[in-house]
Amino acid sequence: MSCENPATDKDALMTPRTKFDKSRICVKCKLNLGNIIIRHAVYCKECFFPLISARFRKSLEPSVNPIPDGPRKKGLKAAGNLLLGFSGGLGSTVLIDLVWRSYFERMEAEAQEEEKRNKHGERGEEEKEKKEQRGGKDHPRKAKVWKKTMVCYIETCGAFPGMKDRTEQTRSVLDRYKSFEFMPLRLEDAFDESWWVSVGGRPKAGHLGIDITNEELFLSPSPSSTTTPNNPLTALRTYISSLPTQTAIPSAVHTLTRLLLLHTAAAQGCSHLLLGTSLTSLSVSLIAGISQGGGFSVREEAQEEWVPIRRSGGEEKAKEQLNVRIIRPLREVGIKECAIWAWWMELKVVGRERYAGGRQGIGALTRDFIMGLERDYPSTVSTIARTCAKLAPKEGSDGVCILCERPAQHGVQEWKSRISIRSYKDAGVSPPHLASSSRSATSAPILPSFSQTNHTTSSQITDSLTPYLCYACHTTLTSRSSRGTAGSSLTNGKSINESDKENVPLPVWVTAGIRDKSDSKRMPMGDGEEDEEQIEGERWRTTRMDEGAMKGVIGEFLLDE
Amino acid sequence: MASISIKVEFSGGLELLFSNERLHRLTIASIVPIDNHTPKSEEIIEGETKLVDVTFLIHYLRDNLLKERVELFMENNTVRPGILVLINDTDWELEGEGEYVLKDGDDIVFISTLHGG
Repeated sequence: MSCENPATDKDALMTPRTKFDKSRICVKCKLNLGNIIIRHAVYCKECFFPLISARFRKSLEPSVNPIPDGPRKKGLKAAGNLLLGFSGGLGSTVLIDLVWRSYFERMEAEAQEEEKRNKHGERGEEEKEKKEQRGGKDHPRKAKVWKKTMVCYIETCGAFPGMKDRTEQTRSVLDRYKSFEFMPLRLEDAFDESWWVSVGGRPKAGHLGIDITNEELFLSPSPSSTTTPNNPLTALRTYISSLPTQTAIPSAVHTLTRLLLLHTAAAQGCSHLLLGTSLTSLSVSLIAGISQGGGFSVREEAQEEWVPIRRSGGEEKAKEQLNVRIIRPLREVGIKECAIWAWWMELKVVGRERYAGGRQGIGALTRDFIMGLERDYPSTVSTIARTCAKLAPKEGSDGVCILCERPAQHGVQEWKSRISIRSYKDAGVSPPHLASSSRSATSAPILPSFSQTNHTTSSQITDSLTPYLCYACHTTLTSRSSRGTAGSSLTNGKSINESDKENVPLPVWVTAGIRDKSDSKRMPMGDGEEDEEQIEGERWRTTRMDEGAMKGVIGEFLLDE
Repeated sequence: MASISIKVEFSGGLELLFSNERLHRLTIASIVPIDNHTPKSEEIIEGETKLVDVTFLIHYLRDNLLKERVELFMENNTVRPGILVLINDTDWELEGEGEYVLKDGDDIVFISTLHGG
């Protein structure tokens, strides 16, 4: 396509921009020859490490203290513990290393030195005094930023038969970081009530399932709950196999992983959860998320504060619970810089096996696109993250999605029914590919019918999961593909049973959330009975008045008989 | 025919494509065909030739060492997006990328970033 301007040279090509500006000398020290180009700027090896450390700390430290520092900068002191999410990938490997080097390496070295001295009996009283005088034992320099630090790894091989279990490999890689406690979990824990109880959830009677073939996602008790104990691994595989598209599978796994980390962080008294999302990965997840209907939570992709639901253990326990700040301190560091850091620091990267069937999914296609951009036009990748950081939703939130626990937008289902035709019944026309003689009122629509329903508030009890979901989660569970369901690729080509799709198990926090809403429903009363209801944190007591009392209140307004 | 010895390393999971070996020591000809095909040992190269460069090395690795999944290593006559190349501990973008002429004793590293975060 040309602009039809006769003065232009039709064969002219855009001059490619040079890979680096100015010269090959490091732009920071201006002395050494450069070793690496980062978005057109050249850095030497010596300047590279402090550059990356500075970016990491700049992204993390403003969020460490419960209240941000004012003009007078105080020391770092978090309100609770620290949980590091570790996937085995490049970003999280670099994250662990940066956290250790920034906040723990020196303390470990000093502790080792002291241990050596104690062993050899070299420490005299004089030395002891000297050491304490160097700032004193309570000097802020010696204080830990977080009381306790844990690394949580979630093994996902349970969802994908044939995938290798990397838990032990991960444990051995993290052995070198003595200050960190290793906490392995499994993806199927999301369907395990014993895990839910261990993180402070209340044990619930039975499990719930959804009919994933219907967009209403009707709820029903899970048949396994009435007979044999629920098998979390089977439940996980049924859940994943029932998802309607290839795109939905990595999205669902990502949501389950995120919630497992969050609930673990809350149970461990953590004020911070750090994830190793690099700038490149962040750009990929922003674009892929928006493509799947997650535009409302674009801000949360970069950074968010999660409020855990009140747990069992009474009011005192509830007061102790901290909000968890989810921070991605590598969001200003590209994947290239992470790779170079890992190589120069000789870090062992376990690797992260992705779901092989998702190669044509939105996530994989987005990743390929962004990786291509990063090679040819590196500045565009940071532009994606910067632009998304400026976005804010037009309307407010209507509560929290019960599945992903992120803010849910108002009027999701109403908007969905307005913008798209999802069955011929809605359009009021007959399927054109059917002959007129065969068209009848009883012809099944191609897509499950979805009658227009008004948005219901979360305080009303429905037997459907749909009103409690955000747009993105509802799309993940219901959006259909012309290529058929994703399930067949996970069950070795055999289709998943239709009966299994009508009762797909739900993660334990979803079941607990539904039960909590049921418990708060007002029950019908007889005369003189009282009912208590909790509305927006306040307790209301309602008493039914008898006829005499009622007449006394409104008597003056009654007409004479 | 003159030849050079170089060291080639793989990281970030790429080693799985190359017999699970991280380090390979190679001896390759210093003058190679311009179309990047690997000449046989006694073959007299007909047609145009060039000094051995990184582009030839990439083709050489694909044709002689790569055991599986070519598309995970190469795309459009160069390395796939997401694979970094270091020449003697320096970004290949600073050294002229594929046109860098290899010398005896050079250390070439291929790092995959496709493991994500």
